[in-house]
Amino acid sequence: MVKAIDIPFGPQHPALEEPINFTFEVEEERVVDVKIRLGYIHRGIEKLAENRTYHQNVYLVERICGICSFAHTTCYTQAVEELLGVDIPERAKYIRTIFCEMERIQNHYLWLGFTAKAMGFETLFMYTWRDREAMLEVLEMISGKRVNYGMNTIGGVRRDITGKMVERMEERLNYLEERANYYKKVCTKERSILKRTVGVGMLEPSDALNLCAVGPTLRASGIPQDVRADEPYAAYGEIPFRVVTYDGCDVASRILVRIDEIIESVKMIRRALDGMPQGPIRVKVPKNVPKGEAVSLVEAPRGEDLHYLRSDGSDRPARLKVRAPTLANLPSLRKMLKGVNIADIPIVIAGIDPCLACMERVILVDTKSKKGQAWSGEELWRYANEWYRES
Amino acid sequence: MVQRELMAILEVFFFPGFLFLFSLAFFIEWFDRKLVAKFQNRYGPLYVGPKGILQPIADFLKLLSKEDITPAMADKVPFALIPLLMLTFSMTPLFCIPITGSSALISFEGDLIVVMFIMTLTALLSFLGAWVSTNRFSTIGGVRTGLQMFGYEVPLNIVMIGPAIGAGSLSISGIVEWQSRGVWFIMTQILGFAVFSLCLLAHLQRVPFDIPEAETEIVAGWLVEFSGKKLALIRLAKNFELVLAASLMVSLYLGGPTGTLLPNPLTFLIKLVFCTFILSNLRALFARYRIDQFLAAAWKYLIPLALLQISLVEVSLW
Repeated sequence: MVKAIDIPFGPQHPALEEPINFTFEVEEERVVDVKIRLGYIHRGIEKLAENRTYHQNVYLVERICGICSFAHTTCYTQAVEELLGVDIPERAKYIRTIFCEMERIQNHYLWLGFTAKAMGFETLFMYTWRDREAMLEVLEMISGKRVNYGMNTIGGVRRDITGKMVERMEERLNYLEERANYYKKVCTKERSILKRTVGVGMLEPSDALNLCAVGPTLRASGIPQDVRADEPYAAYGEIPFRVVTYDGCDVASRILVRIDEIIESVKMIRRALDGMPQGPIRVKVPKNVPKGEAVSLVEAPRGEDLHYLRSDGSDRPARLKVRAPTLANLPSLRKMLKGVNIADIPIVIAGIDPCLACMERVILVDTKSKKGQAWSGEELWRYANEWYRES
Repeated sequence: MVQRELMAILEVFFFPGFLFLFSLAFFIEWFDRKLVAKFQNRYGPLYVGPKGILQPIADFLKLLSKEDITPAMADKVPFALIPLLMLTFSMTPLFCIPITGSSALISFEGDLIVVMFIMTLTALLSFLGAWVSTNRFSTIGGVRTGLQMFGYEVPLNIVMIGPAIGAGSLSISGIVEWQSRGVWFIMTQILGFAVFSLCLLAHLQRVPFDIPEAETEIVAGWLVEFSGKKLALIRLAKNFELVLAASLMVSLYLGGPTGTLLPNPLTFLIKLVFCTFILSNLRALFARYRIDQFLAAAWKYLIPLALLQISLVEVSLW
């Protein structure tokens, strides 16, 4: 009997893009238990949001995540619009939908490369990231930026999609669809990929439901749950689409779900471009938001994104709460990691598409009494501003 | 008399000795990097020298000047010795490879066995390096190195004997001499050549068999604690191993420096580049295997194929 040893993984590790710490209890080559520790890059965005006006917060919220920035702003603006009772123009809804899907495409390409790197397949990594540029180019053409687009505003969107842009988009979409089909072939035929992904990081459908997994991770366990279909927002109610599911419950299924979503997104963008109504793209909204609470849901590329907003009638939110998809997937990640081989750890972690800075939570624990302690806003402010001065 | 000694010294230090081998090692590294970059739709080395050909040298010098850290818990003397030994062990067998003619600088009956032995020693050294650096990642990497050796070593050595049986000589120069009469062993032992290339990939710890170093899994595996000069020497040693692997392919299966109308060293270089091409090409094609998958594949496929090849050689001779 070999004694279990603890292997630290992170906060700095080549397989991780962002700091998080896993402590793996390992027996021989198998993982027996995992401890996850968060809090390395907590940025206090929710607190920051309370000090800014609703309009300024659009730009703050955009910076929660570098990759799914549009999902966060959509989610936030929807919540504000609900409180204001504003109905945004139809054209703006379509443009939001198109951007959401373009973001999904670029995120899934990015993820595919990242996963390929985790399994040591550098060539696939280079290829997917090259192809992702095609999507970024389109995003830049319309919005002027590659990642934080600055497209959303309360009451609509800031830029329109014109006829010339549509032509260029069509061309790029054709290319992206063709490449996605090629990668699907690679990921279902190439033996060295199959060897590393099939049957690895299993998450049974019942576990996925019990542990509240979201997004492609959940859909790869065969459960057709998607905010776009269940509670349509923007123009999703008017564009028909298929919710992609696979029932392999392993990393291979997670890859296939995402590749199929790319193909589905391309089709959705085409349909949206065809059916896009003419008209204004934004409405003017008042500065102050009436008292109330709102919850908004958006299907971000990584899964269900939730924003909760409470207003006290002023021009600044009283409370903004963000639940990014990765946080919902962490309990299932722990489940998936139990029992895997050491060599499979990176690919299983990559499988949920972790985005850590977006979901960061912090709790302060007194090391002597082992008690968690909630801090008031004032204490937080003092810690942030005076701690460095004192020491 | 003096002239002959002078010639010998020139041979050892310049051509085809140290200077030539060093330049060859850097050139092959550049070629490998550039080629893999091309396969992956990148540029690869670009700025240092024409087409970035001097980049490996620049990297080497840069590493030499970096801070050299010895972990507090490491076994100091072996930790410092291992990079040097690795360099020596990966360079020595190259003197047994015929480059200018059908006879090498050092050649005697049985040098093939010595080369095999030294190749095993380099693998053992990396295991030892992992062990003395006492890091958890390097320990896992070291164990993987050892396990991997159990997988590739047996078929590698079996197929290396194939050409020796065919030529009736245990000396690399003897094997090249035999092939210079017209028949290369790749024509009669194509199966052996395939097994040999795969085993060499595992020996060189390159994708898809870079299991002991697996960057995304165990950071850099057994290399993780080596830095500065030590890392520079190990990387150079790895280049020499690549050169050795390619030149063994050339000598054992492709007729060594003989067999074309071009001058001998040039022929050797062209064949060497071709063999590096094969090794680099394979590197760009696959995802990394897991250690258990590699071992299973080695014992299920590589060893039976190697044995089959040897039996075929025996039968054909008989």
